[in-house]
Amino acid sequence: MDLAEQLRNIGIENISSSPSQMYCYCTDASQIRGMPECVVRPRNTEQVSDIVKFANVNGIPLVARGAGTGMAGGAVAVKGGIVLDMSGMDRIISVEVENLQVLVEPGVVHSKLNEVLKPQGFFFPPDPGSSEMCTLGGLIGNNGSGMRSVKYGTTRHYVLDLEVVMADGSIIHTGSKTLKSITGYDLTGLMVGSEGTLGIITKALLKIHPLPKARSVMLASFETAEMAGEAVVRTLASGIVPSACEILDSTTIQALKSYDPQLDLSDAGAILLFEVDGTSGAVREGIETIKEVCSSLSFHTKAAKDTAEAERIWSARRMVGAAISRIDPKRTRVYAGEDIGVPIKEIPLMLSHIHKISEESGIPIMIYGHIGDGNLHTGMAIDLLDSAQMETVNKIADRIHRTAIMLGGTVSAEHGIGAARAEYVRMEKGNALDVMIAIKKALDPKGILNPGKMGV
Amino acid sequence: MVSSDQSPELGSVLKCVRCGTCRSVCPVFEEFGWESKTARGRMLLAQGLIRGELEPDQEMIESLSMCTTCGICEQKCPAGATPPKVVQSARQQLVQKGNATSAQLQMYTRAAETGNPLGETANRKQWIDEESEEQKNSEYVYFVGCLGSYRYPELARKTFRILEQLGVALLEDEKCCGSPIMRTGFDAGEFVSHNLDQIRKSGAHTVITSCAGCYNTLKKDYPDEFNVMHVSEFLAEHLDELDLKRLDLTVTFHDSCHLGRSHGVYDAPRRVIEAICDLKEMKSIKENARCCGGGGGVRTGYPELSMKLSRKRLAEVPDNVDYIVTACHLCRNNLIEGGSEHEVIDLVDLVCLAID
Ligand SMILES: Cc1cc2nc3c(=O)[nH]c(=O)nc-3n(C[C@H](O)[C@H](O)[C@H](O)COP(=O)(O)OP(=O)(O)OC[C@H]3O[C@@H](n4cnc5c(N)ncnc54)[C@H](O)[C@@H]3O)c2cc1C
Ligand code: SF4
Ligand code: SF4
Repeated sequence: MDLAEQLRNIGIENISSSPSQMYCYCTDASQIRGMPECVVRPRNTEQVSDIVKFANVNGIPLVARGAGTGMAGGAVAVKGGIVLDMSGMDRIISVEVENLQVLVEPGVVHSKLNEVLKPQGFFFPPDPGSSEMCTLGGLIGNNGSGMRSVKYGTTRHYVLDLEVVMADGSIIHTGSKTLKSITGYDLTGLMVGSEGTLGIITKALLKIHPLPKARSVMLASFETAEMAGEAVVRTLASGIVPSACEILDSTTIQALKSYDPQLDLSDAGAILLFEVDGTSGAVREGIETIKEVCSSLSFHTKAAKDTAEAERIWSARRMVGAAISRIDPKRTRVYAGEDIGVPIKEIPLMLSHIHKISEESGIPIMIYGHIGDGNLHTGMAIDLLDSAQMETVNKIADRIHRTAIMLGGTVSAEHGIGAARAEYVRMEKGNALDVMIAIKKALDPKGILNPGKMGV
Repeated sequence: MVSSDQSPELGSVLKCVRCGTCRSVCPVFEEFGWESKTARGRMLLAQGLIRGELEPDQEMIESLSMCTTCGICEQKCPAGATPPKVVQSARQQLVQKGNATSAQLQMYTRAAETGNPLGETANRKQWIDEESEEQKNSEYVYFVGCLGSYRYPELARKTFRILEQLGVALLEDEKCCGSPIMRTGFDAGEFVSHNLDQIRKSGAHTVITSCAGCYNTLKKDYPDEFNVMHVSEFLAEHLDELDLKRLDLTVTFHDSCHLGRSHGVYDAPRRVIEAICDLKEMKSIKENARCCGGGGGVRTGYPELSMKLSRKRLAEVPDNVDYIVTACHLCRNNLIEGGSEHEVIDLVDLVCLAID
């Protein structure tokens, strides 16, 4: 009896095991592939628990998946088994503005939550570029963040409580309805960013934030990316905390212009995009300070005309990673070595290392990302049918990862470790990985939950 | 090793970076939630087919046949991928492998036998007014289309009555433009060459059509020998000659995917409407307009899905309008069948109200 049939026999519905459907689930936005035996789209916690119990008894791999927009193969069934497509559990269960919290199912798409909160004057601050399509479950699974994390932090800072189905099928709550609680170990913190390797999240209680009264966007253009990096170090040291601080290098600028030809961006070596939010007075003051700090390094600064222009810049910026594919019709963007983070002070050095790696390998590497928190995205576009180029890309990614670790940084600041970066966990974390392995063994002794990920 | 130069088909499939943006817009995915029903899924299926890693199965056939080719995924795709084109060529491969659905096969057989996919055997020109004198040669010809000729003869008559006065002729022997045949993956070469001969014979430099499907096909799949205009564009250019009276009405306008997103015809129908009455826009318009659910063979193949999509579009109609105006027969029909509370009329119907 095949797996799908066995699941049907225990009352599970919404299952597919057709080869075509499996092919559609065999990958995410990364280059990692793995064919599941079947995919289930559960509707509630009890169904998830039944499936997990079944998988645990029979030792079958189980991979949670949100929208599959992850860039490290987190949602890919590299060891086969069952994929749990959680995107159908997409109810916003309650919005309690008075308690500064919302209760959601994991399949809610990020932007949908903010659409519901906006009229009430609130928002959920982590804002990934994939806001329109990624799920909150995936965001929690990866501890994702985004452009505003320089001020508002990452997803971890906004999770109050999780309902989690553990590997034996038991259902637990990790946190509390209060905004602060120190009772017991911080299991919420443990689950956030565990990429489906410790449990399946079936509900999340999230903290929300009042929308700022005002926001303003400023662009500063520089001759080189290194000069832009230096400007970031100085701005942050001046005591200003922008709500976003993004870098776009010259190739990124080109990609943005081809994505939205109406964007008015100068042809610079690099542009920094700053956003300041708060009361209108604080915003004005913040923008002035940033202008002043950047003035000795940048050759041009300009403010976005109005909110419409600012929104236009942000929405193009959110998509730029994929838009790189537009520059050359024969090339496609691949995600590899794309998410390193370094301490702020090391940014200029990291940038020059990347330029050196690019020159030596002969493959252009574009740089963009959340430079304000030291998180740099690198982008390479190659002919996917040329296996030699793919090999070079993997070598480049390896060098970028090692350099980031050498500078005291990290191989992934927000996109996840998954299968793509699992080999670097030991290098970056040393014997802390042994502790992680011990936790994994204790919570999932049969290793059914997302095997082959995170080095555990 | 193959490169994308050698395999342009694989090249366009590989343009997809699997970012998932299309999950947020594909109307068919919204109904099902399974990955195979997104544009990304369809791109992967096409890849599996081209690479020989997948054999057609029920899921693949359904996924590819359920695409309305509305193109909103292409509009939003940051990577510049073109899912509707990929879907169409994957459908061709399915047909070549003998995997057409029975609805598609029936449609093709009917078209081959009768010259139109509706299987109508009557004279294609039976709609023409007795009093109308057919001009033989003109620089402009009206391509009536199968729906105009057989399903909406009254509308064809109204359209031609206006066009005729502006010096537009008809083709001597028009056949189906080939659109439904190509979109479902069959070869429409015979239809194209027949109509092309007819157009050449007429001596016209411009072909006018009132069907978004014909418009798209004449523009994209015929040699670039003549201009193609939608009737809304032609009327917008001739507003001064039409002597339209102002009507005390408020209408909304539904953008057809194949006229709008495919060809950027957004302003002409709006100019005509605004010359007649007030226009109140729907919730999503122009590049972002929701599909009515009628295109790509979905209306015939998956009526239930088609009706769901139609109802979602109807939910975007603003309050207090007198009519929903469309510029595409298929859209109009689908919105009516979706149970519109408002009367759904063609742009030409509105123009006639303002002429009478
Ligand atoms: C164009 C683009 C831009 C992006 N920009 C950003 C960005 O700015 N910041 C950022 O952080 N990321 C970004 N990403 C990466 C990715 O979108 C995010 O990490 C996102 O949060 C993943 O969500 P998802 O629903 O797609 O999850 P998936 O990719 O499906 O899954 C991600 C991980 O979470 C696990 N998971 C999913 N659901 C559950 C659950 N219910 N319980 C337990 N584990 C679960 C999966 O097993 C997997 O390990 C971007 C991606 C793209 C394509
Ligand atoms: S939006 Fe484009 S690149 Fe992204 S998954 Fe869809 S088709 Fe692929
Ligand atoms: S053309 Fe429309 S229906 Fe087809 S995949 Fe794209 S968005 Fe979906």
